[in-house]
Amino acid sequence: MKKVLIYVEENFRNESLSLLEASRQLYINQNVETYALVINSKEDSPLEGFFDKVLKIEDTKLQLIDQKAIGEIYSQLQKIYNFDAILFLATSIGRCLAPSVAMKLKTGIVADVTAISNKNNQVSLIRPAYSGKIMAAIKVLGDGPIMMSVRSGIFLYNKVADKKTSYIFLNNLKYNYCNIKVKKVEKKVIPYDIKKSDVLVSAGAGCTDIEELEKLASLLNGNLSASRAVVDKKIVSRSIQVGQSGKTVSPSLYIAFGIHGALQHVEGLKDIPFIISININKDAPICSISDIVVEGDAIVFLKKLISKISEHANG
Amino acid sequence: MHIVCLVKFVPDVDNFSYNYETHTIIRQDSSMNINPDDACALGFALNIKKKNPDTFIEVISMAPKSLIPQIENILRVGFDKATLISDSLYAGSDTYVTSKILSKHLSTINYDCILSGTHSIDGDTSHVPSQIAQCLKLDHLNSISKIDETSFGREVATVNVENENSSVTYEIKLPAILSLTRESNYRLPYVRYKNLNLDVSDKIQIISNKQLKFDESTIGIKGSLTKVNSTHVKKYETRDKKIVQADEEGVQVIYEFLKEKGFI
Repeated sequence: MKKVLIYVEENFRNESLSLLEASRQLYINQNVETYALVINSKEDSPLEGFFDKVLKIEDTKLQLIDQKAIGEIYSQLQKIYNFDAILFLATSIGRCLAPSVAMKLKTGIVADVTAISNKNNQVSLIRPAYSGKIMAAIKVLGDGPIMMSVRSGIFLYNKVADKKTSYIFLNNLKYNYCNIKVKKVEKKVIPYDIKKSDVLVSAGAGCTDIEELEKLASLLNGNLSASRAVVDKKIVSRSIQVGQSGKTVSPSLYIAFGIHGALQHVEGLKDIPFIISININKDAPICSISDIVVEGDAIVFLKKLISKISEHANG
Repeated sequence: MHIVCLVKFVPDVDNFSYNYETHTIIRQDSSMNINPDDACALGFALNIKKKNPDTFIEVISMAPKSLIPQIENILRVGFDKATLISDSLYAGSDTYVTSKILSKHLSTINYDCILSGTHSIDGDTSHVPSQIAQCLKLDHLNSISKIDETSFGREVATVNVENENSSVTYEIKLPAILSLTRESNYRLPYVRYKNLNLDVSDKIQIISNKQLKFDESTIGIKGSLTKVNSTHVKKYETRDKKIVQADEEGVQVIYEFLKEKGFI
């Protein structure tokens, strides 16, 4: 029996379920007992039925960014439960907590795992490096537990919620609080989530006419997304960036306008039924993963396509 | 006030060469530069020194000695001291060991604040600042897009942190580790022409395992808790790309395709 502890960050409850699939692949064909750790959670959904045990901490003074306190919590939990693996979602807070916990437990950690290979129970964790240009297979040595962070949208968990979940309230843990105070919180206005879009019209360095791209997106009932090059130039917000340093997306249709398709971008495209790319260079990497390649100037083609679709929509 | 900046030197990830037979990076070909996020930390420290000239700013890097010329250039733009932690025994250290080594040195010096970057463009694990904070029992914030310069002092710093869904202003007691992102836009200036050959050799300190005294089995590849088994360039499933031109005929093909698949 393997024991896996998954940190369920309050703002990413649904996304955290994907870590159950990572746990399954980690210990394929073995019995896995799954634990969730939730801190100051408002509700038990959607964990009910998915986890064997939910460990709950309720302490309003404990902040989610408190690496010191959370390190101390994990150190005590590890002594009680002796987990085989500890997983975090690679959110901006998770990416901070995970390495800090690993150091506290004196164990190895792999960041941004995108695949797990398990050959005869020899586990390798696969992650991109060098801007996604290279994939590295990494083995965790030492006495464990195995630790990793995983970006959301990488693993898909599609089992039914048929477990009998028990809830354990942790009241006796000892920890000190950090000296960090929240002064102000401004919610970001994110008009849409590209992870949920069915059609994405994506801007690359070769086509930054955002207004026109949005027109096409709206004609296709889709949304605008962009490559890192366009986001780095501050033409659009980082919230719509596709790729390893952005988001992993799975629309039904992805149209790449003037996107070269560096590995770090392609890494963000997952299970997409149809990909169309428009590029001056028909041999650009994005083209080899496309169903149809339009060779030529992306902006010229974009305008022609918009008028064709609107013409027929009106007629 | 004493500010320490932690800096990593990284290869140019857009222009490095890869040996497809041995699956290794040809490092001699790629020039090493200051990691962009870390350059913002240096830029911020210089801003503070400009305002308060009695601030002592130090850069610390774990790197091969071949990077001394790059470190000298950091001194030439106004840093007071550079510490290079360098020993062939440290080669191949993973983030766990790297953090232990840096922490051991940091525990021997005085500082009011440690600045670093959030992401490195090569490994991009963001492990080291968090792990050093854990070793030194310091508070730490990453993804910092701004540090308020007027209120920045020995006791406390006010910083903005960008998360997925929000932008949060925190007040953090010092000493602490503050990790900046490129979005902060603090710039590291170029060396002035008249300073290009300025002798700064007396400001560089080199620390090796002679001083830090780690047992050899606990550092480098031997001491690491993660091991790269293999590397490969990822191959993606290619599709039968049908190629059309960006002309009327091409528009017609795409239009028909979108119609057939039910997108319009």
